[in-house]
Amino acid sequence: MTIAWYLAVSALIFAIGVGGVLVRRNPLVVLLCLELMLNAANLALIGFSRMWGNDDGQIFALIVMVVAACEVTVGLGVIVAMHRHRLPIDVDSMRELQG
Amino acid sequence: MIAAALIHPHGPYIDWAALSPLVALVGGSVVVLMVGLLRSRFARTQVVPFLTLVSLGVTIGFVIWQWHRHVAAISGALAFDQLTGTITLLVAAGGIAATLLSWRGQAPRESAHGDFYSMMLGSITGMVVLVAAQNLVTLFVGLELLSIPLYVLCATEMHRAASLEAGLKYLIVGSVGSATLVYGLALIYGATGSTDFSGIAGSISQGHSSDVLLLTGIALLTVGLAFKASIAPFHQWTPDVYEGAPTPVTAFMAVATKAAAFGVLLRVFDVMLPAEHLNWRPALLVLAAISIVVGNVGALGQSSLKRLLGYSSVAQAGYILAGVAVATTLGARATILYLVVYLLMNIAAFGAIVARERMTPYGDDFDAVAGLGAEDPWLAWPLTIAMLALAGVPATAGFIGKFFLIDALVGAGYTWLAILIVVGSMISLGYYLRVINAVWMRSAPGPSASAAAGVPVIAGGSPEADALGQTHIELRFAAVVFGGATVFFGIVPQPLFDLAQHAANTLSGAL
Repeated sequence: MTIAWYLAVSALIFAIGVGGVLVRRNPLVVLLCLELMLNAANLALIGFSRMWGNDDGQIFALIVMVVAACEVTVGLGVIVAMHRHRLPIDVDSMRELQG
Repeated sequence: MIAAALIHPHGPYIDWAALSPLVALVGGSVVVLMVGLLRSRFARTQVVPFLTLVSLGVTIGFVIWQWHRHVAAISGALAFDQLTGTITLLVAAGGIAATLLSWRGQAPRESAHGDFYSMMLGSITGMVVLVAAQNLVTLFVGLELLSIPLYVLCATEMHRAASLEAGLKYLIVGSVGSATLVYGLALIYGATGSTDFSGIAGSISQGHSSDVLLLTGIALLTVGLAFKASIAPFHQWTPDVYEGAPTPVTAFMAVATKAAAFGVLLRVFDVMLPAEHLNWRPALLVLAAISIVVGNVGALGQSSLKRLLGYSSVAQAGYILAGVAVATTLGARATILYLVVYLLMNIAAFGAIVARERMTPYGDDFDAVAGLGAEDPWLAWPLTIAMLALAGVPATAGFIGKFFLIDALVGAGYTWLAILIVVGSMISLGYYLRVINAVWMRSAPGPSASAAAGVPVIAGGSPEADALGQTHIELRFAAVVFGGATVFFGIVPQPLFDLAQHAANTLSGAL
């Protein structure tokens, strides 16, 4: 199989992630979609790493995983804090700050 | 012999002297976190911020000690040159200012002092790593080390819905930005087969240029960095997060994040991608133009000072990006000069705003500064100077910054963008002068008005006002020092020229 197929799958996953971030209202699902975007990048990195025959891409992918875990931890922490303050867990109802 | 090699494996040589600023920051972060666990109230509320200041001061000392060395540390992953040094000085100064602004604030009390200041130092570490980065992996690690503590810092005033909301909004938007950036980095790696900036530059100059993969990667990378630097049209989070975050954190985000983001933009475009400049330069010029228009027009109708400064920071990002886009040594110099100036003016403004937030019940509304000129000239003058400097009035440092940007633009043949900067500055007088008008021409709203308005006029209002009537010596100090520096460097700009010259010269090999 050529690299193109891996890239196509990775681009598709990235697009699904972007779409989810834009349309979903639950911040938990938004965080899941962010994970999809990061993992799409990981897939591309590993595919390219294989294509070029060096390890840089694989190391990069490992680091992306670590960072993704940190981001989700902070995100979940903020969502729990909002829940404790009885704030609505819904992106659309966050209107305290008028954007 | 073999046994000795097994016992003492040879890792990469680590130049600890070059790394010393980073060591001071990371060490400070750990020490501050530990001291914050002590039971004594004095240790937590006074010693912790003091140690933060010490750590930042030591960092500045190490940068000056290492000033004339150009070192590629840790197998070439980080470059400690004068660009890194300059940006480190800037973010450390921003950190010192933010520590002073939050010394008696609500945010550290609510989130535990140790955690608050430790995260701030962590974020500063990320900024230094980001600007020093010499390959895609360190760039990403630096960016995330900068961002993740900032998300938490935005949400530290936990009893206030606006603060939590700002934290979550910044987290989601910032993570979308980082994910886009990572995808862009993956594509650049795919197109060139290297993660080193120099390797990528070499591969591009050998004929991989204008590859679709590479161009898509550069576009996604630009978008990701534009989110961080709040460049329009990727700025939507900026006013919301600036308004919702605790004000000292807003000040820190405004000055330090911007310095780091533009430092890395200079590094990426002038070191990694100079061969592609025909493709990225038009995009950056257009982004700069959009930011100038959107930021200045958006700020006109604001009634909250923090939102106003949020939109103003979008416009200023447009000015600074123009300096990056021209991609000449003169442009890089103007960019760095403007970053220094931007730090001075914003800290002066935020010092006054934080002080008024604690003294009056109006939060960051215009009413909070009404009548300030008659009541408290030591806060009124720094705020006035900051507003005039942000608008670019002569005899302030803001004028010098804008002058050099316009000079660089005209020199490179982009007179239309220079004219747009002038027009943007004229529009910006429309809102900066409104602040000055409130300070000097309006009288303070009477006590009955404050009672009728209820306590929180806008979100972000009441919590900071609980220390009503204190003198806030550290806030005055920050506002007066940075306001004074704004005027001083407006009249005697030579030290700033020299600093910017040194920093820009490290890039000139690539330009």
